[in-house]
Amino acid sequence: MDFKAKSKTLLLSVLGVYILLVSTHKGEFWPFSIYPMFSQAGKTWTRALVREEVDPKDRQIWNESSLDDLPGQLFAMDRIGINQNDLANFISKNEEWTDRRIQGLRSYFKKPLQSHNLMIYRVQGSLRGRSQDSVEVSYIPYLLLTTDSTVINPNL
Amino acid sequence: MKVFDNLFQYDRPETKGEFIFFKLFEFLILYQVLFFAWDWGNYIPALGDVILPLGIAHYLDISFMFGWIAWLNAALITLFVLWGFLRQQRFPYFISFLLFHLQYTARFSQGEISHGANLTGMSLLALGLAYAVFSTPVQRRKTTIGLVLFFVGIGYTSAAFTKLIGTGFTWPDGRHLWLWIAERATDRLSQSGSFQFNAIQEIVLQNYGVATLFLVAGWITEFLGFALWFRKIRSFIAVALIGLHFGVLISMNISFSAFVEILIIIGFPWYKLFDFLLRKKPDSMFNHFIEKQLGYR
Repeated sequence: MDFKAKSKTLLLSVLGVYILLVSTHKGEFWPFSIYPMFSQAGKTWTRALVREEVDPKDRQIWNESSLDDLPGQLFAMDRIGINQNDLANFISKNEEWTDRRIQGLRSYFKKPLQSHNLMIYRVQGSLRGRSQDSVEVSYIPYLLLTTDSTVINPNL
Repeated sequence: MKVFDNLFQYDRPETKGEFIFFKLFEFLILYQVLFFAWDWGNYIPALGDVILPLGIAHYLDISFMFGWIAWLNAALITLFVLWGFLRQQRFPYFISFLLFHLQYTARFSQGEISHGANLTGMSLLALGLAYAVFSTPVQRRKTTIGLVLFFVGIGYTSAAFTKLIGTGFTWPDGRHLWLWIAERATDRLSQSGSFQFNAIQEIVLQNYGVATLFLVAGWITEFLGFALWFRKIRSFIAVALIGLHFGVLISMNISFSAFVEILIIIGFPWYKLFDFLLRKKPDSMFNHFIEKQLGYR
């Protein structure tokens, strides 16, 4: 086979494998992708935020509130060198909190949990208003991590 | 077909400038692969469990990588890409691609589907396949660049189509950009502990029309990604795509630096500049060195 025929065959073969893999793996088989990011516009998103110095005995900590009224102090993920995307996806995509999953999540916070309680919030954003022209962000207490326990919000 | 001529340059012989251009591209990919391999390698040991398997992790419990093996894999990737770059042998690049895939699937097993290194991975795959399939250096170089241009173009255009499929023709509604800006503000707050909107974000948040215009321009640019396949308009679309990434950076604080670096190299006919400079100094040591590399001497 000459160069022309061989290179065309190679390109079409890779394209075939590309299509096969993305169509059988929900659009992603790295580095092949249909690049679906931002494809579903206007949908409610879920992210995560961590607060420290939260009192586990205070029942109010399980209430939804605005950012300014959340208990404790903001805990920046930079402090433990973990990308917040990983925490947000761990929180939003995990369906069952098995022991292994809980230990996996706690492994992010090994050092701070030696001396601090941490509350992980599910942060949800959506378009609100009569003509959907304002963004509303809500902060839902989700997981309380203490030195020796992990508590899921009893109200959820 | 014209498109294959445009991608693989069947219709013209390789120049000395193109050889330099290819070496720059190869060096950039080598640098990016090493950067990601070690960046991910240093992060993977902090991970605890697989939340969302990607790639080979659909068939293999990738949690075995959560430890020193991630560093070993980074070291092996380094060894094989350097071997490929320095010795130009048949399989090192392809092996490094397979190991790089493994490193990606371990790093992004937490639920996030990152696309920041996709063009790097695609370029390494193109190098791996071109070197494995062809034995002539010129054919390897032409094939690599042709494959990269084709799949970069496909990527952008398919991104435009997924938006139409996922949302429909209302996708470029400015309110959607407001929602994403709020999402990214939460991300920045969570990561660093503070966040402030920049001037562009303030303008976008206050002007529905400007926000909509941002999204319309972005979608059209993405759709035209396939135009990278054609020599005559490649530079124009490359400028537009770099502009698109700049727009994403200032409006949503999302950086695709590896994409932009690759676009800067493959999107422009740098070889014409190199050929011009080489012609100006035909007896320079560098010119002789390049001719030696190409077997002219």
